[in-house]
Amino acid sequence: MADTLQNPNPKISAYYQTRADHHGVVTSDWLAQAQAAVGRHPDDLPPPKVEDSGKPFSVIDEFNSWRKQPDLAEAVAAIRALASVIRFSQATTMMELEIELKKASDSLKSWDTTSISLTAGCDLFMRYVTRTSALEYENFNSAKSRLIERAERFGEISYKARRIIAMLGQDFIFDGCTILVHGFSRVVLEVLKTAAQNKKLFRVFCTEGRPDRTGLRLSNEMAKLDVPVKLLIDSAVAYTMDEVDMVFVGADGVVESGGIINMMGTYQIALVAHSMNKPVYVAAESYKFARLYPLDQKDMAPALRPIDFGVPIPSKVEVETSARDYTPPQYLTLLFTDLGVLTPSVVSDELIQLYL
Amino acid sequence: MPDVQVLVNEFIIKLKKRKVEGSQATARMTAELLRSVISQQRVPYNNQAGALIDAIKAVGEQLIAANPVELAVGNIVRRVLHIIREEDLSLATAAVAGLNLSAVSDDEDDGEREDHPVLSAAAVAAAARSTLRPPSLQTLLEDMPDSAAVPQSSSSGGDSEGKSKSADKSSRSRKLKHDIIEAVNELIQDIATCHEQISEQAVEHIHQNEVILTLGRSRTVMEFLCAAKEKKRSFRVFVAEGAPRYQGHVLAKELVARGLQTTLITDSAVFAMISRVNMVIVGAHAVMANGGVIAPVGLNMVALAAQRHAVPFVVLAGTHKLCPLYPHNPEVLLNELKSPSELLDFGEFSDCMDFGSGNGSPLLHVVNPAFDYVPPKLVSLFITDTGGHNPSYMYRLIADYYSADDLVVQRRPASGN
Repeated sequence: MADTLQNPNPKISAYYQTRADHHGVVTSDWLAQAQAAVGRHPDDLPPPKVEDSGKPFSVIDEFNSWRKQPDLAEAVAAIRALASVIRFSQATTMMELEIELKKASDSLKSWDTTSISLTAGCDLFMRYVTRTSALEYENFNSAKSRLIERAERFGEISYKARRIIAMLGQDFIFDGCTILVHGFSRVVLEVLKTAAQNKKLFRVFCTEGRPDRTGLRLSNEMAKLDVPVKLLIDSAVAYTMDEVDMVFVGADGVVESGGIINMMGTYQIALVAHSMNKPVYVAAESYKFARLYPLDQKDMAPALRPIDFGVPIPSKVEVETSARDYTPPQYLTLLFTDLGVLTPSVVSDELIQLYL
Repeated sequence: MPDVQVLVNEFIIKLKKRKVEGSQATARMTAELLRSVISQQRVPYNNQAGALIDAIKAVGEQLIAANPVELAVGNIVRRVLHIIREEDLSLATAAVAGLNLSAVSDDEDDGEREDHPVLSAAAVAAAARSTLRPPSLQTLLEDMPDSAAVPQSSSSGGDSEGKSKSADKSSRSRKLKHDIIEAVNELIQDIATCHEQISEQAVEHIHQNEVILTLGRSRTVMEFLCAAKEKKRSFRVFVAEGAPRYQGHVLAKELVARGLQTTLITDSAVFAMISRVNMVIVGAHAVMANGGVIAPVGLNMVALAAQRHAVPFVVLAGTHKLCPLYPHNPEVLLNELKSPSELLDFGEFSDCMDFGSGNGSPLLHVVNPAFDYVPPKLVSLFITDTGGHNPSYMYRLIADYYSADDLVVQRRPASGN
């Protein structure tokens, strides 16, 4: 167990490794992969369960097999992995089970400390376990099966959350507007898709999203929807901002201040938008709300990511490889979540209600 | 219920012709109309609340469609829906509690219901959580989002009803309606007295020898200023006239009649005078969920002037003006273009506005929007019947007054257009 606690590749954050696997490069096979994922229900594709009893159950292996799925959010994978912990558990009392879960979620969290939605998902599920099950169900077995059932339906919840956000968000898109999008986010894509399906006429500017070039994928998706789309290099944001009516971004995590942690570059886009009085909208599922309060950019464990500059970099030159930045709440206008449209200040209120 | 339909149609025509002015009058009339809808509505034995909610929703949709810009209509419809849900829930809770305690005799049972309306079984508590609270992180895993809240609560009510005697049923249905009408009456009362509640707080905000600026005429603002005057505060008021309707002239006269030092200025003089002002106090047309304000035209300029000189910008609004919606594109969607006759007399410039000349479209256009949108960051404080609040706190007040399920009453007519 102890050897699996370490992320095998310390050079790159596991979170971004997943992202790169899912929607990093634009190749022909991701199209096929995405196409295959669209039609199917998230519950229909569980990974082949390892039934060989010789190998001890490991929550991290479980998590890793879940997170391979391109349509599954990381928090969902974490909760599904924790559900498997409950299923394989030999515990006979609630207390034992809780301790076991705690251990599993701690090892999950320490396996990848950089992923915020992984931590938030674990916290949310642990909170649910400790708060409700012990109170309402006297029978241990029924409590256990209820927890498993809830966790397994969480994938569905997360899928519904995306639909709700899309419905809420598309109201803010008006005919003839220009939207700037940074990087690739499934939620943002869903919002734009819904708006396009509702016959809204709008234009999208995609940033390139260096170094993993996720913006290319989004622009490709937009083109498929017949939405006029323009690709910008990341440094052209300020240059085009006067044409833009609103900025749409996703989030890796929403923190307690109401700010967001997102792909590198979000902060500077928000700053530019703020100085030009353009609204910045964030689309994020509520399971990404995390109990963090970063005071500045360097206040989090950096998520590292290799950057390909195309030419060899001399060894004396240092490279900033952090993959994400923190955008303070005063630069965000509204957050679209499955809990409704929220102002940034509501986020801390929600978190306090849950974890107090 | 033919006679109610007549009343509804009458009110719809009034709304369409913009015969009802001001959000307070609209709110009061809407509440009164909905009260008569409720009292005339026949309720079936089970799922009474559901029947009432459907009736109110049907009427509400028509009313909102009649004047979508007057947000007070939608607010009151949602408030009444919330009242119905709340009363139904408290009755259902009381019924379950009554059954749990003991069914010694029906009379005592009824007595207990009134005494202990909050005792509840876990099931009802869960129903309450999902019905009345907006979705939160807490309920994310507990309840499936698609489990419809209304049938849940009414079915729990229905179960308890099944167990009680049939005589109890009619008394309960009467009680539900009675409670709802009581609560709606309270709401009407609240709307009528919101000025008093707001103006009670005047002395806390207006201090000796201060200079207050306002624009146009709002009854709430007038009462607020007069309340401070009655409490022996002496202060000066600058009134911007509020073109093109010049309601500021009326307000200035009213204030002078009450013995207040008043100065009348043009709207364009606001920036010139703002440096001498200690506080800006204005009324609002509606307050949105993000803390933004839909206000009479010209107020955005005043708010910007106030921000430039760091003068507090205070908005007075009764709770019937709190709207649970977020403004998207408010300058266009939540605005109304009034008649150009307020700007130009009939016949004036008629040669430039002639469709016959040139290429068939006139060169001179007159646009007379009724409202401004003031973004939340420009507002320092909201004063409502319940006290002073920060713009970022508005969502919490809204969560208290409205059910999350009712926010989309208006969705259907909007998408139909």
